[in-house]
Amino acid sequence: MDALISPLVLYSACALGAVGVVLALPRRGASWRVPGTLLAAIAGGVVVLALGLVANESGQLPNIYFYVFAALALGAALRVITHHRPVYSALYFILTIIASAGLYVLLAAEFMAFALVIIYAGAILITYLFVIMLATQSPVEGDDEFQADYDAKAREPALATLAGFVLLAVLTTMVFGGLGSLRAPSGAQHARIERLALATMPQKIERVLRDTPRRDDSGEPMRDADGRAVMMVGPDERVVRLPAIEGRSMVNIAEGSVLVEMPDGGTRMTNPRDWPEELGVSNVEMVGRNLLADHPGTIEIAGVILLMAMLGATVLSRRQVEIDEEAKAHEARRLHGLDEEGVAS
Amino acid sequence: MTGVGPVILAQADYPEAMGTITLAHYLFVSGAMFALGLIGFLTRRNMIIMFLCTELMFQAAGLALIAFSRYHLDHTGQTFVIFVLTVAAAEAAMALALVILLFRKRESLSTEDWTEMSG
Repeated sequence: MDALISPLVLYSACALGAVGVVLALPRRGASWRVPGTLLAAIAGGVVVLALGLVANESGQLPNIYFYVFAALALGAALRVITHHRPVYSALYFILTIIASAGLYVLLAAEFMAFALVIIYAGAILITYLFVIMLATQSPVEGDDEFQADYDAKAREPALATLAGFVLLAVLTTMVFGGLGSLRAPSGAQHARIERLALATMPQKIERVLRDTPRRDDSGEPMRDADGRAVMMVGPDERVVRLPAIEGRSMVNIAEGSVLVEMPDGGTRMTNPRDWPEELGVSNVEMVGRNLLADHPGTIEIAGVILLMAMLGATVLSRRQVEIDEEAKAHEARRLHGLDEEGVAS
Repeated sequence: MTGVGPVILAQADYPEAMGTITLAHYLFVSGAMFALGLIGFLTRRNMIIMFLCTELMFQAAGLALIAFSRYHLDHTGQTFVIFVLTVAAAEAAMALALVILLFRKRESLSTEDWTEMSG
């Protein structure tokens, strides 16, 4: 198998990381937290460094921010599972989320990055924090003896870490080995997809073209009688929404022209020369298009899942108040200002 | 730059697909995060932390999905992350309701108080 980085480096880094995580997991007595965390960090650093060297040779070095966000995300993830106080675990998880959002931005997925911060860090984690604060008694500062046993001691740290890192080693071996057979589609194919997507958005095109000046043959912006710039789509004009008129396609992104309806009812094609270079489809538009055009049924299912979860959570967490007949009668007497014998007090 | 309109905010070009080796970087981060979540789920005995670790694993899956979405320049991966978020939110609501219910019964968050549930 054509390994991306030497198996020796990969497996020894995994072993080193495993030892580090075992040491870093919470335990009673002598604390190995700091050396354990350091060891795990070194192991992660070795793999990323090896990957970086390979990338440097092939000229595919990721952005420097990738390393910053990856280190933040993995370091915070390690603290999530090793911190002995649940509140801090949750706060470190928020750090992981924010670092992941940074990675999403690097991957040109802006919408998901914002959604992640808002939904995860803003909503889900706050719910977790509420429950943790509701259910955890604060220990005396700096006194681990009062820490609840289930927080202070990990269960089978060595076995679990072994399982986790064997999984990681197998996963990375398979992924790195299989990457060579993975073909990314060509850029030209995707330029076509983008043009198709843009052609279905006449409103967006109209909005942009209203701000784009028409140019005359010398390249100067055209002016009307009052000296104002003439736009590609004027105030009284509109982009024709029909798919095609007289065999001419309404929006021809490849040529850079659209059919515009003039106030007197006639139509004209815009000049390809005026077409704005920067007219493109943003990430949010593409995700929204994909979501609504290709997966409309899934949205409905997601809605049902959320509704069911809401109902289920309400039913589960409702405090069961059992009032028997005697208690009811007692409460009724108390409300009416009567004592136990039924005599007004 | 004249004015911040839709023209400026929209991406000028469709993003270039990233290289295979850069994809490997993201997949390694995702795999390591998943492994950490798994270890946390197996070792920690606090129910809330265990559910937090499942969220960590969701997060790792989401990162891999977004990386592949970028690699193939196919937005279905990003759409799928929306549904991962939905499921994570639903799971968090149910899990926390269960934790609250169990905590009221035993005044403890330890999973070992509920070993009789393993049957």
